[in-house]
Amino acid sequence: MPAEPAADVTPKADAAAVATPRAPSRAPAGPPGNSVPIELSLSWRSSTTRLIVIYGALFVVWSAVLIGVVHWETRNYLSTVVDQILEQRAHYFATIERERLPEAMKAASAIDLQGVMAYGLFTPDGRYLSGNLRRPPQGLPADGRVRLLARGIERRDRDGEFPARTLALYLPSGELMVLARGTNVIEQVGLILRQSLLWALSLTLIPGLIGGYLLSRGPLRRVRAIEAAVQPIMQGQLDARLPVSRRRDELDLLATIVNTMLAELEHLMGEVKGVCDNIAHDLRTPLTRLRAQLHRLRTQTAPADARAATIDRCIDDVDALLARFAALLRISEMEDLRRRAGFGHVDLAATVRELQDLYAPLAEDKDVQLQIEIEEALPAIPADRELLFEAISNLLSNAVKFTPPGGAIRMRLRPYDGGAKLCVVDSGPGIPPGEREAVLQRFYRSDCTRHLPGSGLGLSIVSAIMRLHGFRLEIGESEHGGARVSLYCVPRDLSGAA
Amino acid sequence: MSKVLTIEDDEVTAREIIAELGAHGIEVDWVDNGRDGLVKAVGAHYDAVTLDRMLPGLDGLAIVTTMRQVGIETPVLMISALSDVDERVRGLRAGGDDYMTKPFAPDEMAARVEVLMRRRRSAAPATELRVGDLELNLMTRTARRAGHELELLPTEFRLLEFMMRNSGQVLTRMMIFETVWGFHFDPGTNLIDVHIGRLRKKVDHPGLPPLIRTVRGSGYMIADAG
Repeated sequence: MPAEPAADVTPKADAAAVATPRAPSRAPAGPPGNSVPIELSLSWRSSTTRLIVIYGALFVVWSAVLIGVVHWETRNYLSTVVDQILEQRAHYFATIERERLPEAMKAASAIDLQGVMAYGLFTPDGRYLSGNLRRPPQGLPADGRVRLLARGIERRDRDGEFPARTLALYLPSGELMVLARGTNVIEQVGLILRQSLLWALSLTLIPGLIGGYLLSRGPLRRVRAIEAAVQPIMQGQLDARLPVSRRRDELDLLATIVNTMLAELEHLMGEVKGVCDNIAHDLRTPLTRLRAQLHRLRTQTAPADARAATIDRCIDDVDALLARFAALLRISEMEDLRRRAGFGHVDLAATVRELQDLYAPLAEDKDVQLQIEIEEALPAIPADRELLFEAISNLLSNAVKFTPPGGAIRMRLRPYDGGAKLCVVDSGPGIPPGEREAVLQRFYRSDCTRHLPGSGLGLSIVSAIMRLHGFRLEIGESEHGGARVSLYCVPRDLSGAA
Repeated sequence: MSKVLTIEDDEVTAREIIAELGAHGIEVDWVDNGRDGLVKAVGAHYDAVTLDRMLPGLDGLAIVTTMRQVGIETPVLMISALSDVDERVRGLRAGGDDYMTKPFAPDEMAARVEVLMRRRRSAAPATELRVGDLELNLMTRTARRAGHELELLPTEFRLLEFMMRNSGQVLTRMMIFETVWGFHFDPGTNLIDVHIGRLRKKVDHPGLPPLIRTVRGSGYMIADAG
């Protein structure tokens, strides 16, 4: 069932003349639905969290580099100290007389309680003479310079090798003296530094991440509040505004900018709609007078008079104009309505039966079947019975108009999500997917239906009524290619939207 | 001769009402403010009142409320520039009998005033309605034309009842839709025409003088052909 058509006005002419303002805020319709809330925030993360993660990673890298430098410097320094000690000892031992050397080495070992030093005196061919080194380390040039040996140093009093900084030189007597100092102190300092790095990082990162999470929750909560505030705006309630806190921060700045924009939008929309409504309103009075005069003229004209038919046609045209203006004003009225007071509990099944009763003769005259399918256990719907009846009546009127003779129209009513879903399905030409949203706009007529009479406002009225109720309107396709208009009459908490 | 009180501050509208009702043989007293209007409505006898909703001095709602409080049951047609859905409910709840929005078609206004006056005259509950040889028994819910029983659906019976209660009276499609179906939106011309067509087929068989007449540009009327 394509849009309700109107014969004479093309959309372009409309824009120039009366106006085709889209209903301010026509909600998106068609397959995506009229009011499916869009969860914006789900795919977004707080910028605070991201900053904290980036900052944390930088902090870890920076700390590691810092500790690494300290580690390296300390190691160097300690090595230098060790080397100096070794060189001093070597110098000392070298100046001692040969006979006292073993004793001096023993004495030096005795005060070395931790056993970090090792001494050894060997024959030029490597045999042991004295000291606590088992054998001279291999590959160590005896040039009196300190070298780091990872292996090959063995003490006589201990098992196993150990890494050490080592120095070897030939005494004037020709014997080989080897001095070694274990590097485990240096290693230990390294270990202490590494451990302190881990501790420092965990002590900083864990509270940092927790703090970051807590910090980011605040803004995220406000963004969610903004998201919630945006929902009704996206559904066309242009007078809603984003929340602005008293903090005057960047979020508030953004919200204020958007609010200013919304105010301007609302103002412009109101102006366009106002101009349109004013024209409709102002033209109604002279048109009504024109009709009254034509009517008077008609009553004074004898039925046989040829002019009577002309006057009748004039009256019909004026009536069509008046009906269109009335429909236009009715949409505006519905859009301005914020009331829920007139809502009672509507028995949709009874309403649908009543509508079948009302439209059956019209359908029958056109050789179109009008069937209803009503499922059991339908809840009463909080709604305005008259408006709901008007909406469905408009759908049926369209369906009858667009269903060719021999076709069928089905009204299917079934429970849906705590409310009810009503589908009006016809076997007409259907509405092309690209036009499904447009048909809800004022005066839209599908190209292929331009020849049919109508105001082009029927579906706009339905849409306005649905929006007033917070119900959803969906235009789709029936199995046989005809139009399917579904009304999702699901009661919602209306207090927030009102 | 019937007398109607028109309380209306807009002179052009008032002249229209006077002219249209005058053409229907109804005498009109015109008052242009609420205070005088209330005094007249309470003090003198009228068959009906047309009452502007917004008036200088005393508001239309207050007038009809006061009238009903002091026991004046004169039928009131509220005429308002306010087309709000709630406005009608408010007007009728205050005691108005019918409600029209401006701008209105004068013939529709006149038709409504006549229906209001008729309703008042036939205050006694009838058990049978009769137009020519068409009889409608409201007790047994049966209709007979020239002695033959007509098989009417419930809606058709209600439609015929409304028309027969106002026989000789032009009834607009809007009035028919409002009374028979109880809704107040514009159902489009076709819809009511088809229902009348149905009824006409059952009531006005070929060979019988037609009782249901189409009034071009206005609506329908049932009247004895003779």
